[in-house]
Amino acid sequence: MPHSVATWAELVEGWQLGIYRDPIVCGLVAGLALGYLGVFVVLRRMVFITAAVSQAAGMGVALAFFVQIHLGLGVSPVISAIGMALLFTLVFSLPLERLPVSREAVLGVAYIAAWSSSVMLGDRISQEAHDISSILFGTAVLVRSEDLYAVLAVSFGALLFHGIAHRGIAFALFDPEGARVQRLPVRLLDLASWVCIALVVSVATRALGVLPVFAFAVLPATAGLLAFGRLRWVLLTASALGALAGAGGYVVAFFLSLPVGACQAAVAAALLAAIWLARSLVPRA
Amino acid sequence: MASQQSALLACQQLRVGHAGRAIAPPFDLAIREGELIAVVGRNGTGKSTWFRTVLGLLAPVSGSVTMRPGLRLSYVAQRAQLDPLYPLLARDVVAMGCERGASFTRPRWGEPAAVPAALERVGATAFASRPYRALSEGQKQRVLLARLYASDPELALLDEPTSAMDAVAEREALVAIDALRKERGTSVLVVSHYLGSIREFADRVVLLDSACETVLIGETKEVLDHAVFHRNYPQADDVCEAH
Repeated sequence: MPHSVATWAELVEGWQLGIYRDPIVCGLVAGLALGYLGVFVVLRRMVFITAAVSQAAGMGVALAFFVQIHLGLGVSPVISAIGMALLFTLVFSLPLERLPVSREAVLGVAYIAAWSSSVMLGDRISQEAHDISSILFGTAVLVRSEDLYAVLAVSFGALLFHGIAHRGIAFALFDPEGARVQRLPVRLLDLASWVCIALVVSVATRALGVLPVFAFAVLPATAGLLAFGRLRWVLLTASALGALAGAGGYVVAFFLSLPVGACQAAVAAALLAAIWLARSLVPRA
Repeated sequence: MASQQSALLACQQLRVGHAGRAIAPPFDLAIREGELIAVVGRNGTGKSTWFRTVLGLLAPVSGSVTMRPGLRLSYVAQRAQLDPLYPLLARDVVAMGCERGASFTRPRWGEPAAVPAALERVGATAFASRPYRALSEGQKQRVLLARLYASDPELALLDEPTSAMDAVAEREALVAIDALRKERGTSVLVVSHYLGSIREFADRVVLLDSACETVLIGETKEVLDHAVFHRNYPQADDVCEAH
């Protein structure tokens, strides 16, 4: 980020040179996808799943280094991170309602397990520890091409799946037993939905960092739910606000010379506050 | 045996319960096409557990449930089981009744024709475009009945579908349920505590009595006149008279 007073001309020039284009597009697409998927995260009352999945991905990276150093096995840290995030989310596709504890408690247990494992593994790979954060958490200032392509592919894949299965996902979430009786593949829909969230969170965290990803998954969805009482409008609003926060946050960071991830989160929060205010001024019919 | 073979759904020596512990004695029941069976019993006797077992949502403790292959089932659960946070209009909930199997993967433009028809059938058109979560409990139950209508089931299981309705709405709902089976030949299993309505609409009654380890199954009059029934519902005569 430039430290002198930034101008639109510099932004446009940087865009044309490709310096700012990739991170803005990445923020826009990740915000759009996470805004959409976040509606289902918020409706499941599991907003901290995003943070927990990031933690599981961190454990995956640490595990890859550990195996490489101590067992001599070459495992890609990125693949290991995604694999661990997927494994982690599989827990939440299990029939947890049979347990006498809430899903939130299970989330807490899994989060602590992933966190403590990361610390213990990290202790044995201290010489590589500095690489873990660089592999795991991007800065959103400059996004590598391969990270952008990963975000584009995974985001559009997740949105395509949700577009095709939207009616089934909504029914399975609202009334899982009614959906099962009408022979919808509720367990499969639930699993696929979690996999989408895990994949998008993993690749977006790698490209942008934890903070904006967490913000995109929670704030636009909350704003959408505050604004509308019909799912299709909630999803459209959350996607649009997520995209706006992703791209707009970068532009704000550019002009104010502030950290990008924090600005993206702040723009998402500001949009939520605006919706909240508008809702209180104009009551819904 | 012959009646079990021609049945839509049959329970054979079925014991239901939780975590392997039975809460009702074993019983046999064959559900025939187009009949309305009322399920009665005090709280905790296993009515909802039996429904959930029949629907395959719970494993039986012992015995078995067999159904005609491809049988179209629909279920109206007790209203508290649906999440009020979901942003759905009443008509969106009714449209869910039109989904079956993988039908949700087929593109659909606009609302299925069955939705307005179902809403009208149960008198829910007036609040069809209101958020489901903003409706009164009685209105929500009407919407769920409309969803049942839209699903065009061969066998419908309803767990206390009128418990939040006033007397007039309750009777209208039961008339609608009765019409469903008369018009389309739908078989209906319904948990209800409204004994007057049961006497009027049910072909047969299943009484679950966990205290006496008894399951009484028979024609409506036969069960409602039975001593076990009167032990469970001491004020039954007054209630029936009132209806």
